[in-house]
Amino acid sequence: MSNLSTKNSLHKLYSWLPIIVLFISVLNEFDFNYLNLKYFSFNFPFILIFFFTLKDFKHFDYFLVFIAGLINDTVVGLPLGISSLSYTLICIATSYLRNITIRPNAIKDWFYFLFIISLINSMNYSILTLFFTYNLELVGYLINTFFTFSFYMIFVTIFKYYIKGLND
Amino acid sequence: MASSRDDFIIAIRSAFLKKSTKQKFSLLTLVLISVLIILLSSLDFKIIRYLKIGISEVVYRSSFVVSIPENLIKKSVKDIVDYSTFYKIYKKEKNELNQLRSNNISSEITQFENKELKELINNYVSSADKILAKIIVDHDSPFLKSIIINKGSKDNIKIGTNIYDQSYLVGRVIEVNYKTSRVLLLSDLNSNVPVTIAPQNIQAIITGAGDEYGQIKYIKKGFTNDFSEQSIVYTSGTGAIFKSGIPIGRLKISEDEKSKNYIVEFYSDFSQLKYVFAEVVTETEIVSVDEKNSQEKDNLKNPMSAKLKILEDEIQIIEETNSKFKDENENLKSEVNRLNNEILNFENQIQSQKKTISQFDLDKKELGFLRLNLEYGHKCRKTFLNIKGFAVGTSEYKKCVLNKGRINE
Repeated sequence: MSNLSTKNSLHKLYSWLPIIVLFISVLNEFDFNYLNLKYFSFNFPFILIFFFTLKDFKHFDYFLVFIAGLINDTVVGLPLGISSLSYTLICIATSYLRNITIRPNAIKDWFYFLFIISLINSMNYSILTLFFTYNLELVGYLINTFFTFSFYMIFVTIFKYYIKGLND
Repeated sequence: MASSRDDFIIAIRSAFLKKSTKQKFSLLTLVLISVLIILLSSLDFKIIRYLKIGISEVVYRSSFVVSIPENLIKKSVKDIVDYSTFYKIYKKEKNELNQLRSNNISSEITQFENKELKELINNYVSSADKILAKIIVDHDSPFLKSIIINKGSKDNIKIGTNIYDQSYLVGRVIEVNYKTSRVLLLSDLNSNVPVTIAPQNIQAIITGAGDEYGQIKYIKKGFTNDFSEQSIVYTSGTGAIFKSGIPIGRLKISEDEKSKNYIVEFYSDFSQLKYVFAEVVTETEIVSVDEKNSQEKDNLKNPMSAKLKILEDEIQIIEETNSKFKDENENLKSEVNRLNNEILNFENQIQSQKKTISQFDLDKKELGFLRLNLEYGHKCRKTFLNIKGFAVGTSEYKKCVLNKGRINE
């Protein structure tokens, strides 16, 4: 009996794992910056949110994503609400894609992801420079978008294994 | 065409408004909340400020805990690199240390002189206390170069507080919470510091490059010809944002085909910071001698304080008199003791003299007897011819000698 309850709680924890990883990544700013590679950075939360909202994952609550955005703003030092808006826009984009897609295609999703993150990063850059007079390096944003796009497929493979493990 | 547009609108509406059973909020609501928060924070609304402070207090601590594994990896990587270059660095630093020790003495003298001169110039002395602060969050973001320290308004940290690594400038505080603060590093693109470049003594502004170095900006073209690789960059204090004379880094010239670039290599390695010093400045006004006197005069105008002043003076006089009496008393006591000792000595002297006198009297008597004995002894001594005489040593004999012979003779 106790074995069964342990199994259940483990399963619960496993099913909540994506949202837990999202919170850890925003708190920790998971992007391998400590490797000190010039210009190297990528946005892991974007990949995570895009993938799991596209799959309409049951424990990936939009409100929690919104809260994760607020935390990210606090950690990074951006004005409150910027990341929340970005994350929510990704959710809208994936919801729209889900509605118009009949036969999902990984490559199409990938390029759609590139379009969405480019749009969101441009929006972020515009808001920060125009409304908050931040000095930001555009090259940094472009490279961040490029690496986020490049790593998408690697992480998608890992996430697929995770979902497969959950269904089994 | 019309049906395709309808499909698009339906999909969009569905994306924005459709709220499935497991979602608590529709995406449109969340977007509107986000936009509202952004607008309010751009207008610097109080509610948003307090909300941010509240979130920051919790998030910074959580971020510190969550970052422990990453920091462990960072530390391990750094340790490995350190061990591989250990000896080389040791040799270099030993030489540097010797040089710095000699420089330190002259620097201390300059600091004292500087402080004295500032006291003369200003009406206040700014005493700065450096408090040690631990870095709890340092994510080295590619966009914003900032760190979070574990000191906040509770420890008198204010916006603009200068932050140091040893004696090198690291940045300044841009956000203060109750127990934490955010420090904008010099390497950030938004950081602008007015500096002096020595020994040329040229004023400039350095801005962060978003990397581990700074860029020199706002300087006239002709001045740059004087720069050399040995030039030192330190704060000029212009604008009163940073204190003057804080070392920042060394100038480095990098040449392209087209132009020369002047960058500043910071003395401090911002990626390796663990603890920093926050300079908490407190200003105390100096009261000049004239002001002091006028304050005393004001006090005298008040009758109550005047009475108190008189009483205080009286007490002071009494205390002074008392102490004088005490001293005199002590002197008299010691004089009495000295005289007593003298009397005792004299008494002893008299006693010994009396003894001598009595001895002298005794001797005199004896001598007189012996003289008489020589002269009249034969008359008193009992011999064959003098049967009526006395035996020698008897009291009759002595009496007879003293009487110069027998009385009836």
